[in-house]
Amino acid sequence: MKPATFVTSFRLLAKNQFRIAIRRIQVQQGWFVRIVIGVMLVYSAFILLTLGFFFDRFSSEVWPQLDPVTVVNRYLLAMFVSLFFMRFLFQKTPKIKIIPYLHLPIRRGALIAFFQSASLFSIHNFYPLLFFVPFWLRFVQQSSAVSSPEMWMVAVMLLIGTSHYANLLLRAILQRNAPFFYGLMSLFMITAFVDETSGIGLQQPVSEYMFTRILSGQIIEIWLLLLVFGTIAFASTLQLLKSVKSPEARSQPVRVTSLNIPESWGLVGHLVRLELLLLWRNRRPRHYLLVSLLFSTMYLVFMLGTGTAVNSSAFSALVGLFASGGFVLNYGQLMFGWDSEHYQALVTRDVPFSAMVKAKLIVLQGSCVALFVISLPLFISFRSDLVPLHFAFLFYNAGITTVLIMELAARNNQAIDIGKSGGFFNYEGFSAKHWLWFIPTALPPVLFMMAMNDSPKIALILLASIGFVSILLTDVWTHYFARGLNGRKHKMIEGFTKSAG
Amino acid sequence: MEKRYDSKVALSIPAWNLESGELLGLVGSNGAGKTTFLSLLLDLLRPDQGSIRINGRALEADNSWRAVTGSFLDRSFLVEYLTIPEYLEFVGAAFGISKKETYQKLEAFEGFLPISRVDSKRLLRDLSTGNAKKVGILAALFVSPDFVILDEPFANLDPPSQIRLKEILIRTGKENHTTMIISSHDLGHVTEVCDRITLLSQGKIIRDIETSKETLAELNTFFSTDVVDSAT
Repeated sequence: MKPATFVTSFRLLAKNQFRIAIRRIQVQQGWFVRIVIGVMLVYSAFILLTLGFFFDRFSSEVWPQLDPVTVVNRYLLAMFVSLFFMRFLFQKTPKIKIIPYLHLPIRRGALIAFFQSASLFSIHNFYPLLFFVPFWLRFVQQSSAVSSPEMWMVAVMLLIGTSHYANLLLRAILQRNAPFFYGLMSLFMITAFVDETSGIGLQQPVSEYMFTRILSGQIIEIWLLLLVFGTIAFASTLQLLKSVKSPEARSQPVRVTSLNIPESWGLVGHLVRLELLLLWRNRRPRHYLLVSLLFSTMYLVFMLGTGTAVNSSAFSALVGLFASGGFVLNYGQLMFGWDSEHYQALVTRDVPFSAMVKAKLIVLQGSCVALFVISLPLFISFRSDLVPLHFAFLFYNAGITTVLIMELAARNNQAIDIGKSGGFFNYEGFSAKHWLWFIPTALPPVLFMMAMNDSPKIALILLASIGFVSILLTDVWTHYFARGLNGRKHKMIEGFTKSAG
Repeated sequence: MEKRYDSKVALSIPAWNLESGELLGLVGSNGAGKTTFLSLLLDLLRPDQGSIRINGRALEADNSWRAVTGSFLDRSFLVEYLTIPEYLEFVGAAFGISKKETYQKLEAFEGFLPISRVDSKRLLRDLSTGNAKKVGILAALFVSPDFVILDEPFANLDPPSQIRLKEILIRTGKENHTTMIISSHDLGHVTEVCDRITLLSQGKIIRDIETSKETLAELNTFFSTDVVDSAT
């Protein structure tokens, strides 16, 4: 028997992966989630297309003295760096997909080539084009000052491709040599921070210079981009080849460091440790943690740093809600679902529900304090007038948001595979109630702040007081949720078992 | 007691009793209802009809049985992202056993799973099926429970581990007067360990016998000539 030829392998793999992609959509998501995803996709596509076609209306407001092409050229590199961080959080690598094919008589070269090229069919590569193509048609092509508009589009495509393979490469580096990865990322972050804060501002002129030259027909920059793209794509392919050839390709045992909690904390201490280890050692929960951290740091810089963005009382309430309560809102809503794989292990041991709930409430309340501390310097630096709001929402989130989210979480009965990545469209564990529950959770403080627009200080004192009283009632909430969980125990176990199968 | 899945009756037992200190072997073909039975005993499933009582008290009404019950049905009983020491410490804590005492108790099982030599940095999810099973069985036994429930404990274990487990179960049962229910497809092991055998077929108890020298032959004859349950 001979291994399948390159072309046959490619055809077979394409057919199979297409079938898998279709079935995954059919099987994994409920109808409500599918509708929500559909609406989100159409909405974001609409925004990008509108922005691309009518960018002049937007840019004339913010940069009245610059033409749209100059604006985009100036921020193009920064834009791709930002998009890269989104990719790094959400985009998956093809390595896992290759594993089921490794034992078959398919040439390694064909496998690697197929999955490396198929990985380009990603929403992360497609969506930027929804902005760039109309922008190019409307502004770059029409501009009289431009002699090579096609080259500009080629450069954009090369940047998308480079960003794509750089993500795969960096993920492989993280897997093989984490200290090197963190060193590299720290160096990059420090350089970008120094460039931005010291007033050097090197990346904007570099970006503008490079893309203006491309537009004027200078071919050398295109060659440079092509070289960078080729090098990164080649390095990423080599890493993938290396990883499937290594004996650990099928399963990579993780070696871990421990987390100690004093024994005097008793069973609740053990359960807190369990929750923290769940969070740190599993891909999807860890992803939720990183997103919360990202919101309370990087996104907050953009929101607070732009000065006028957070002006309305409604928007400031939302910022307050997410700055310290982001983790509660996104990780907390799936609690108990995170434990679905070992829920039976918990309920057959002598682990009272009250201890389980208390541990989860401690973790959620602790996250509010941690995010408050992390984001406080940003509030002080950019918007010191919002520090009281941040402080009031710390109490509100720790007292009220945690309880509201726990009310939702205690009704979860959908299993979650915590080892899967938390990329886009992984809505495992979500149902209609999760989307609807956001209304009673987020809306009351926003409406309250709007209603109290004339007396914002009193509004904040009231919100903080309600939160503080609720924190004092933690034991009451604990017993309330424990009673509910005991009553719903069999329904939850049945739900976890069925949905996991 | 009756348990149905949709309209299909998975288990139907008019009356059944287990005395304190008994070592019971639960045998039956695939789909006979063994795991459903054990899940009902652990309050993981609720019967559609009838009830289970431990020391005269309904299982669902009183949680005190949990503090004296050690069990392992399958891998879902493990917390896969913990290391072996972390998991055993956690189980110990759930039973109110200190860390120091946990390791003292584990010394008695060194021959089965040498806790002093395990890779303490490796997660449970990275263990082989056999080693993961050993951890689950150990977690059920080291807490010195009054009542032990094990589903297929001998499956996936290497021969030395099977022999040691057999010795441990006999010792635990006889010396500590522990009540045990062990489901198994290994008729040889189960008749050696248990002093009573309950045979399930299509959700019904069709034999409930004291173990004797003839039991193994009797079971062999039954399974080679009689009922084959559907695993579908």
